[in-house]
Amino acid sequence: MSELITETRLRQLAGEWLDGGKRVVGPVRIKDRVLYQPLQSPESLLIESNPGGVRPANSIKEFFFPKQETLYQYRIRGRNIELIEPAQEFTEQLVVGARPCDAAALPILDHVFNWDFVDDFYNRRRAVTTIVTVACSATDEACFCTSVGLAPDDTRGSDAILLALGSGRYEVRCITDKGRALFPGKTETSTESAKAAPPPEAKFDPGKVRAFVDAHFEDPIWAEHGRTCMACGVCAFSCPTCHCFDIVDAGPTAGNARVRTWDTCQFPIFTQHASGHNPRALQPARQRQRILHKFSIYPEKFGEILCTGCGNCVRNCPVGLGVLNMLTEIQHGQHL
Amino acid sequence: MANIYKPELMEVIAVRQQTVDVKSVSLRFLDPERAAAFSFQVGQFGIFSVFGYGESTFNICSSSNWKDRIEFCFRKVGRVTEGMWKVEVGDVVGFRGPYGNGYPWDVWKGHDLIFLGGGIAMPPIRCAVWYALENRADFGEITVVYGARTVGDLVYVDELAEWAKHERVRVVTCVDPGGETPDWKGDIGFVPTVFERAQVSSKDPVVLVIGPPIMIKNTMPVLQKMAIRPASVYTSLENRMKCGVGKCGRCNVGSHYVCKEGPVLTMEHLQQLPMDY
Repeated sequence: MSELITETRLRQLAGEWLDGGKRVVGPVRIKDRVLYQPLQSPESLLIESNPGGVRPANSIKEFFFPKQETLYQYRIRGRNIELIEPAQEFTEQLVVGARPCDAAALPILDHVFNWDFVDDFYNRRRAVTTIVTVACSATDEACFCTSVGLAPDDTRGSDAILLALGSGRYEVRCITDKGRALFPGKTETSTESAKAAPPPEAKFDPGKVRAFVDAHFEDPIWAEHGRTCMACGVCAFSCPTCHCFDIVDAGPTAGNARVRTWDTCQFPIFTQHASGHNPRALQPARQRQRILHKFSIYPEKFGEILCTGCGNCVRNCPVGLGVLNMLTEIQHGQHL
Repeated sequence: MANIYKPELMEVIAVRQQTVDVKSVSLRFLDPERAAAFSFQVGQFGIFSVFGYGESTFNICSSSNWKDRIEFCFRKVGRVTEGMWKVEVGDVVGFRGPYGNGYPWDVWKGHDLIFLGGGIAMPPIRCAVWYALENRADFGEITVVYGARTVGDLVYVDELAEWAKHERVRVVTCVDPGGETPDWKGDIGFVPTVFERAQVSSKDPVVLVIGPPIMIKNTMPVLQKMAIRPASVYTSLENRMKCGVGKCGRCNVGSHYVCKEGPVLTMEHLQQLPMDY
């Protein structure tokens, strides 16, 4: 037996959350793109059908780790400084229609945001969020979740997962208590059972990749990709797991605040010392850092690959790079 | 909410201009309870901030025995340090820390100490020298070789002279060729060369070498000739940081996070890491 929910009921659920003053996030069509956005109305939610591609072009990380967030404000009165905690509300939020490769990023990111020093900004948002994932009903050539140990119906990080049955109906599988709390009165029992898309074929072996990158800190592959890369950072910004940030002062015109903003290892200034010396002076070293961080450093530190195989870096790259291309090259041994 | 990014407020109690573009600053916690409870290990760093400009990472260059204050030293090179340059006694600045590991004094105990520093790398050596002098009985001979580009770039000059007055302490100062003045009494040459010329004889010393990468690189062969093992040679890395707490993702050398697992490490350890510093 399975539980079944209709698209109408799902929109009703989203509407109830919105009416309750909570935030609902889901895939929304904006011109010719589909992006995760806070919903203005339940009608704008694109639960599954996604003619723009197999998944939104951004990730859900910004609802836990915003692009910009005030860490605190300061008030300067002559020589007196007063620090003011941000007026954060941490509104309860529901993410509907996340892909498994988005939800799976959160348990991975939990490690770094709690590595000895506990990041309450991130944790509080995690605590107030319920995530309803939709299993993928299609994959494309950029998808590689299988290669990093995930699958189109993976439930890691999800509170509930929906699997399409067609005709606007979904099988609901609740994973956590938060997920179970969502659906009472909205589902019906059914004998139908849904299936996700077949997993994309495995394109590389992360163990082999790690062995390669650990042994090839200097290798022509970095230069080849580095020469092409234009350091725009879209790979990192659209990545569900990239989490590097900067801390800057927004001056009087921006409310005298110390602000955390997204940053990326692809920018030259990211590691530049005050002296001018830069350990990663050229783009090849910065491309290498991104791969090393995801496939060697993070696994060494926390036992997990810092990648969910979503393929956003591949689809969004303006010059045809992305993690997958480099890793398949490594897998096929052109550089061994 | 516990906010790990929010600094503590400290009052500036002294500012000293060390060179044309370097100043040192002494700070005291505004909160007397915090001041009483604060402790750190010499070699650790802090993240210091001027509100309206931003935060920067500096070694806490005072000795941990100085309970009334902490000190840091900076060169004016960018936006934040431009702001710090304007700071005066009585102003309030921010501090987060202490972060990172410190010098392993328990391992260093009983050894001769050799300190080799270049340019603005003096502050993280200065705190160690003072700490060693304050615990003089724990250590053997102390040698300090400190060099800067020009005579005008040497910092803590008066303290160098003071250290030299202590027993079993030898201080050698030098400037790069061309950086000397007509009345310069110190050595002329780069730190590794001057150190080699100084013929320091020591059995099983601990060496702390901090300076630009080229200085460290050229010092290693000299130490090797003296049969000093890389495991006894320490440095302090100064990679760019933002958070100081292992999250912002930029200070790593391979898998070694300078903010959490450094900044102090042995050359033996450093040689195992990729060239990412």
